[in-house]
Amino acid sequence: MSITSLGEYDFPSRSRQELYGDDQLVTLWFQDTMWWCSPVMFRAPRAMTWADFWAQMIVPLAEEDPDFDAATARTWTLHGAPFEPQDGMTLTELGIRHKDVIGTRVAA
Amino acid sequence: MTLAPEKKTKKPRKLSMKARYEALTRGLDWEPSYVTKEEMFPHLEYEGIKIHDWAAWEDPFRLTIDAYTKYQAEKDRRLYAVLDGFAQGQGHLNLTDAGYLNAMKLFLQGVTPLEYAAHRNFAYLARHFAGPGPRFAALCQSIDEIRHMQTEVHTLSNYNKYYSGLHNWPENHDRMWYLSVPKSFFDDALSCGPFEFLIAIGFSFEYLLTNLLFVPFMSGASFNGDLPTMTFGFSAQSDESRHMTLGLEAIKFLLEQDEDNVPIVQAWLDKWFWRAYRVTALVSQMLDYMLPRKVMSWKESFELYFEEQMLKGLFEDLAFYGITPPRHVADAVQEKDVLSHQVYWILYQFSFAAGFTTTMPTPEHQQWLSQAYPDTFDTHFKPLWDKEARNIASGGRHFTRGLPQLCQVCQIPMAFTEPGDPTTLCQRESEFEGEIYHTCSNGCQWIFEREPEKYRQAWLPVHQIYQGNCGGPSVPEVLEWYHLQDGDAGEYLGSRDHTNWLTWQGEAAAETASHENKAGA
Amino acid sequence: MTEQTTSTRDVGVVIQESESNRPVVEAIEQDNPDCSVLHTPGLIRITAPGRLVITQETVEEKLGREWETHEFQMAIVSYFGNIQEWDEDEIVIAWDH
Repeated sequence: MSITSLGEYDFPSRSRQELYGDDQLVTLWFQDTMWWCSPVMFRAPRAMTWADFWAQMIVPLAEEDPDFDAATARTWTLHGAPFEPQDGMTLTELGIRHKDVIGTRVAA
Repeated sequence: MTLAPEKKTKKPRKLSMKARYEALTRGLDWEPSYVTKEEMFPHLEYEGIKIHDWAAWEDPFRLTIDAYTKYQAEKDRRLYAVLDGFAQGQGHLNLTDAGYLNAMKLFLQGVTPLEYAAHRNFAYLARHFAGPGPRFAALCQSIDEIRHMQTEVHTLSNYNKYYSGLHNWPENHDRMWYLSVPKSFFDDALSCGPFEFLIAIGFSFEYLLTNLLFVPFMSGASFNGDLPTMTFGFSAQSDESRHMTLGLEAIKFLLEQDEDNVPIVQAWLDKWFWRAYRVTALVSQMLDYMLPRKVMSWKESFELYFEEQMLKGLFEDLAFYGITPPRHVADAVQEKDVLSHQVYWILYQFSFAAGFTTTMPTPEHQQWLSQAYPDTFDTHFKPLWDKEARNIASGGRHFTRGLPQLCQVCQIPMAFTEPGDPTTLCQRESEFEGEIYHTCSNGCQWIFEREPEKYRQAWLPVHQIYQGNCGGPSVPEVLEWYHLQDGDAGEYLGSRDHTNWLTWQGEAAAETASHENKAGA
Repeated sequence: MTEQTTSTRDVGVVIQESESNRPVVEAIEQDNPDCSVLHTPGLIRITAPGRLVITQETVEEKLGREWETHEFQMAIVSYFGNIQEWDEDEIVIAWDH
């Protein structure tokens, strides 16, 4: 696959991970509600633990949804496959890459 | 030019339109003497398009520079007479509601700068095409486009004296998140070669989709008491029919010149239909949500101007050349029931960071929506507004403070759903040289995967904000960098425009009442 | 380009609703007996199966003054179909195939 151009055409991505230093972009997708028009993107340290990510990033945002309850059990997906986040593990340790999409819904 | 000796009549005999066109447009071309044609027109081969005979280009308008300037001057005279009348007659009070102007704010910020971009690129075509026919047509269009930009600015500047959100449109266009949608669309076209640009803008945008963009938009202005916008709309749109012709002639010319051009043109058509269609998503919500008095729904408009006129009309004509309707057109058709609702839902929850305001549709408005969209509104979208009504009743207002995931190609928040399933957001993921990229639809994914080297450079507002390139990494810093002023953004009810509007209407009513009292006394 | 196509797919033109355009619309209606006319705010959309013609003679008759076909640019807002002919005496919109 190559682009039709007048000269050589090879430029880096404008969103590549190194532009975010020790952080990366992570997207959270609430799959069982349309309250959020789209999935939400965060910039989070790769070394952040899941517990901190949940408490400091997800919850403050999600509380804007009047139906959100932080205590409810949830199921998770990563790369479309079932995923069990561990509170003490970092995003990197959990296998969450730059720009990955984490899906979640209230457990049935 | 010397005319042949004539019979002794009083009036000099005029040349026929055809002969005048030959003499004044084609006849003024020259052959280069001290450079080769390839040196003179260096951009014509690298795209793979083969042209054997530039003279085969047809211009049905047979336009000459004298006829062009004569009618353009008349169009301007008519428009500026209306603008004068507007200023003298307190035209800013004649709207159905101040909220109507949100559509115009979006137009001025999003579309007007595209006119300027089109002006630039048609000037490029006027320089680079090797045939005098298309060069002259492109030159006229280039002048048209700058006229459109100027007339739009002059028209809307009258509202700027009284209303918010219209004061900083060029910077808005460069900086604000939702405006990266039209901006990146046109930048994408500007960075193509001359032939692809012609198919991208001249054909896919001008011929296929501008009807959808402008015609209901002008009717909307007419229906909502906005006479000057209606007038500039007509003034521009009368040029637009010429532009449509250029686009249509362009595609037929390329297809007739060489069979090898057909697959190249088809791929451009597939790409640019979807790119342009995604930009018109912004218009879909204007029709269904922003106009206080509705003209027609997006769905009706799409059926009339696109399905009927283009799919049933034009594409049957193009089938003769082996051209098929754009890839992914079926997804667009399927989306007509949900598109406007999904787009307005984005704007509603992010209008705290925009150059316009939004508000929850009133019960009457929702009734209209449920009639216009019997299959989807009550099932999928009314429940969201019901929930928002409860949220507002308990003191809330749904503004999302998080940042949305954006599509790498169209740059719209990833709010669109799977074809045929309005309950599941559509997420497409592609990997290129070790990095992952997300797109909102089959169409955008196909475009990305065809030219990942291009789209990986996209200036995506959310990614840029997180890099700290937009005034700082936090939302307040970004809003300051947008140079938003009090009254530009947020909720319409209680906004500066809304408060002023009520005051002005109250004054007008009080004045009428006092006249009536005097008359009665 | 005088070949007549057999296509009966609709072609059409959209015209600004105004005092000066009313005679133009009347002329089109007279010259195209099969046409249908749709009014929306500010706009008139005229469609016809296969072919739509605007003739100088009829427009001049309705207007009561001279009218050159170039002047149609002042009235037209949009069209669909293909402009097959734009001469001194007539404008023809039709599909090629």
